[in-house]
Amino acid sequence: MTAVDTVVPRRRNRDARAAWLLSLPTLVILLALLGYPLYRMILLSFQNMRLRELITDLAPPWAGVDQYVKALTDGVFWGVVGRTAAFTVVSVTVSVLLGLGVALLMRRVTRGVRLFMMIAMMFVWALPQLVAAQAFRWLTDSDFGVLNYLIDKIPGVDFANHSWFVNPWEGWAVITTLVVWAGIPFLAISLSAGLTQVPKELIEAATVDGANAWQVLRGITLPILKPLLTIVTTLSVIWNFGLFTQNWALRDSHPEPVYQTLATYSYTQAFGQSRYSYGSAISVITVLLMLGVMVFYIRQMFKIGEVD
Amino acid sequence: MTTETLATAVPDKKTTVRREINALTGLAHLALLAWAIATAGPLIWVMLASFKSNTEIFLGKPFALPQTFSLDTYFRAWTEAHIGLYFLNSIFVVTISTACTMLLGAMAAYVLARYQFRGNRFLYYLFVSGLAFPTFMAITPLFFILKNLGLINTFTGLILVYISYSLPFTVFFLAAFFKSLPHEIDEAATMDGASHTRKFFQIMMPMAKSGLISITIFNIVGQWNQYLLPVAIMQGAGADSKWVLTQGIANISVQAGYHAEWSTLFAALTLSIIPMIAVYALFQRQIQAGLTAGAVK
Repeated sequence: MTAVDTVVPRRRNRDARAAWLLSLPTLVILLALLGYPLYRMILLSFQNMRLRELITDLAPPWAGVDQYVKALTDGVFWGVVGRTAAFTVVSVTVSVLLGLGVALLMRRVTRGVRLFMMIAMMFVWALPQLVAAQAFRWLTDSDFGVLNYLIDKIPGVDFANHSWFVNPWEGWAVITTLVVWAGIPFLAISLSAGLTQVPKELIEAATVDGANAWQVLRGITLPILKPLLTIVTTLSVIWNFGLFTQNWALRDSHPEPVYQTLATYSYTQAFGQSRYSYGSAISVITVLLMLGVMVFYIRQMFKIGEVD
Repeated sequence: MTTETLATAVPDKKTTVRREINALTGLAHLALLAWAIATAGPLIWVMLASFKSNTEIFLGKPFALPQTFSLDTYFRAWTEAHIGLYFLNSIFVVTISTACTMLLGAMAAYVLARYQFRGNRFLYYLFVSGLAFPTFMAITPLFFILKNLGLINTFTGLILVYISYSLPFTVFFLAAFFKSLPHEIDEAATMDGASHTRKFFQIMMPMAKSGLISITIFNIVGQWNQYLLPVAIMQGAGADSKWVLTQGIANISVQAGYHAEWSTLFAALTLSIIPMIAVYALFQRQIQAGLTAGAVK
């Protein structure tokens, strides 16, 4: 890349050796603790492992692509895929927009208020998913829940003992609220860190030239923030696409069919129905779908890097 | 200074601008306040509940103040539910694994972002694709690997697994960060014959300080809250003395059901959040320092 490298090829070799040496520990750890389990999962998806094989320790019979054919020709599976994708699109859009909004607002308030916001957000961010889900389960509990208690206070509204999960739209609204609520702190904190790198002089100059707040946002802030926005959006997509803990805990470890996502569906098939291979095949398909999204975004990121 | 002189010259303009800013700031405060209530509501409820007795919790006035502010529930959580022990275990595990994650991840991200070599893209995609890895499906194979290595129910095993699960994100984020840093200083150092180690530790690390600190916080929070992995790994004889905080909390929650110690659970929850606040407060100054010191024009 630099002139030095092309002029002195030997230096390049040394660089390559140093580069491999420095990435070696990461490579070894990832291959052993992520790569090998992944290999086992893929292997399992081409077999037919049931409870009998698990108990007797027999080698499961080879099944080729049977599990994949079964999944891809099953309407239920496609229903789950559609639901997971729809949830991901809605939840990521809402949380990124709100996260950006909070980050922008935080630049406008005094230091004390900003610090208070940060603390409130750290609270939410530091809450383990399981715990947050349990808290929401209690908030929306039909008999003791705070939510029903508060809504019931509104005159003329009877929400006592209202169950939030009978109607799937309401249930998914609760799950999406939980995910967005828990997701905003990470987005807002990283985006507000990114906003500090937007030069103040640039904004002042634009304002003096008569640009309004919206023009400043579109013309200056967003382009500078774009790489960071790409990263946090990609991450949100990956996390929300793999939704497991929230719908699992809110539905008391037995999500009804309308509350299944790819992750819980694969888990239920594998460990609930003892169809280990079928569950693995669904996981592999999930991973492939996620990788598809990621490659798209990573390529975008490389493009941004090359333009610079 | 310039605004001062301008202001004396054109006093009207200054006041209108200021009024506009005040109105906007007022709106911003209102919006943030509404959002703060939405954010903090469930947490305030948790904290209030941590001081209440079980009967008070089920009484049906969720935002009522507790009858007494005694720290009894906290003492019970700390000693009887062994939260104190799990707290220290968590600190031990997270400290070591975050430190190792940052060192290994920074090294890998640095070479992937700054060196052109055969296999660069391949390694990058390989590392980053780990992000798409579903934790819950890997539990069984992971268990058997650690068992074969004799690392089940050891802190070493847990630390190694935490590192491996944190590395993809760390490399992903830091590589992007290292890419964005200016090349001039780096090249100048190469011309002057600085070694790779020297360049890495004395030039790149200080320049990348703000990015490194953000990811450190991210990893600390992520590992502190990990639940599924410790449940899978810390099992066997005497495992409950090596549990981490989330396991201890889940254990109270399982035992509690509709009958027993809900207030202990809420106290344990509050305790588990405090170190994260401390970490953030501690790093906050450095984030800002890092952003200003690390900026090279």
